[in-house]
Amino acid sequence: MTTDMLSVKGGTKIFYRGTQDERRALDGLTITLKPADFCVVIGSNGAGKSSFLNAVSGKMPLDSGRICIDGQDVTKLNAHRRAQFIARVFQDPMIGTAPTMTIGENMLLAELRGKPRGFSYGLTAARRAKYSKQLAELNLGLEKRLDMAVGLLSGGQRQSLSLVMAVSTQPKLLLLDEHTAALDPRTARLVMDTTVRAVEELQLTTLMVTHNMEHAIKYGNKIVMMDAGKVLVEIGQEEKRGITVSDLIDRFHTKSDAIALQGS
Amino acid sequence: MDVFNSFYGLIPVTIAQSLIVSFVVLGVMLPFRILNFPDLTSEGAFPLGGCVCGTLIAAGVNPFLACFVALVCGFAAGCTTAFIHLRFKINTLLAGILVMTMLYSINLRIMGRTNIPLFTYDTVFTIVAGASANFPWVKILIVGLLIAIVVAAMLYFFMSEKGTSMRAVGASPDMAEAQGINVGTATIIGVGAASALSATGGSIMVQTQGFADVNMGFGILINGLAALIIGEAITGRQTILRQVLAPVVGSLVYYQLISFCLTLGLAPADLKFATGAFVLLMLALPNLRKSGGGVAIREKVRE
Repeated sequence: MTTDMLSVKGGTKIFYRGTQDERRALDGLTITLKPADFCVVIGSNGAGKSSFLNAVSGKMPLDSGRICIDGQDVTKLNAHRRAQFIARVFQDPMIGTAPTMTIGENMLLAELRGKPRGFSYGLTAARRAKYSKQLAELNLGLEKRLDMAVGLLSGGQRQSLSLVMAVSTQPKLLLLDEHTAALDPRTARLVMDTTVRAVEELQLTTLMVTHNMEHAIKYGNKIVMMDAGKVLVEIGQEEKRGITVSDLIDRFHTKSDAIALQGS
Repeated sequence: MDVFNSFYGLIPVTIAQSLIVSFVVLGVMLPFRILNFPDLTSEGAFPLGGCVCGTLIAAGVNPFLACFVALVCGFAAGCTTAFIHLRFKINTLLAGILVMTMLYSINLRIMGRTNIPLFTYDTVFTIVAGASANFPWVKILIVGLLIAIVVAAMLYFFMSEKGTSMRAVGASPDMAEAQGINVGTATIIGVGAASALSATGGSIMVQTQGFADVNMGFGILINGLAALIIGEAITGRQTILRQVLAPVVGSLVYYQLISFCLTLGLAPADLKFATGAFVLLMLALPNLRKSGGGVAIREKVRE
């Protein structure tokens, strides 16, 4: 048996604990991903999808529970320490890249993710050549604009760049946080295609949050539906075949109604 | 033509002064432009450097060592400001004001009085240049060489792996963290280094003017900001080279402008108002022009 690439056990995070505003962002969340799993996370607003990603990335420390990446317990590691395992593409293209820095410098920062950074010169000729090659695969012409500020690129170009930055280092875990939600449909498709190509080619273990039910069905080998900080329904590869959007919505409602009835 | 003769005569002295203040302008630029951390600590770190250096020289300590101790003290002051902001979530400007205010008492305590004359002591300048230390051109040469070394070192650092990471912290803290950069450490070291620069400026200033005074830093921050803005208007900010050169170029131009205004008859009492009004105008300009050309890169200041 291979080790799980990601395992979250009993992940719990409660805001304003003990007050009447108490809110359970994560409530005993448990999930495991095998190497090269492509898991799509869906759920309504406030279901805990973002909290889940933030807990895995280390941005939001858990109150209780355990998170392991590739067999290593990372529960107590800060976000910047976990970056050696994790690459993340944010929903907002402005957040995932440094806008006032050049494309080349952004690629350099990504290459050094989780590695010791020294006093040696950053953007060497060898690195520039490597980045040009990596960016050329996008077919956006970015490889000729290594010295251009990222803030001058369109949202789609920036998101594509973010993606290349994320996958170029072969992370153990790729987190995609609604990374096509802020893009127009055509660009969203382009970025999604690039994502799928990279994930399959590099066999990356991926966790993708989306509001798009069709994306959930079309991509990945696993669907996880979240509600109230828990995993409500888990749909594996076999079950996922032939499923439709209305099936998904039905299953979601049946299950959440059942829980509501139990609770009353 | 009298006005121009007296202005012309003042040029060398003014250059020497502006090169010394360049240290402070670099110390203003680093947090403000590189780290996106508007910082007021310079206003306290500059006299801190002067007071520490002056006290040590008057106590017979080697002037080079005195400068180094001043630098370290400035570094500590900057680190304190950054720490207050990061740990207690206090606004960067307020954190700077707190440290600056507290430094005033510390400076007085260090010196034990408000003013220490240093005319009779050896300074870095008398050690290097002997009897000719008081000629403006000697000062220009020595300070100019120092500032050239500092600028070159900063330029190299900001293009190195570590320096690029530090710039990322200012450009996008979320992105920097996601790339495994320790945002807190980079901020503390960066703001500390900036105040170390300001303190170094103060330590050189007391040695050229011949005395240390607790009030010597008054208004230095706004002067530094004005110089930075002028410098950036001349060099631009597109590359890291331009960004690092801007403080020095700006300082050189700004102090000549001030000197020119003074010889034209501007009352010294009005100088701070004029400088403040100038900085205000330059900062307000982008918002006055409704339809600015080019693509604006969003700038967000840390809360």
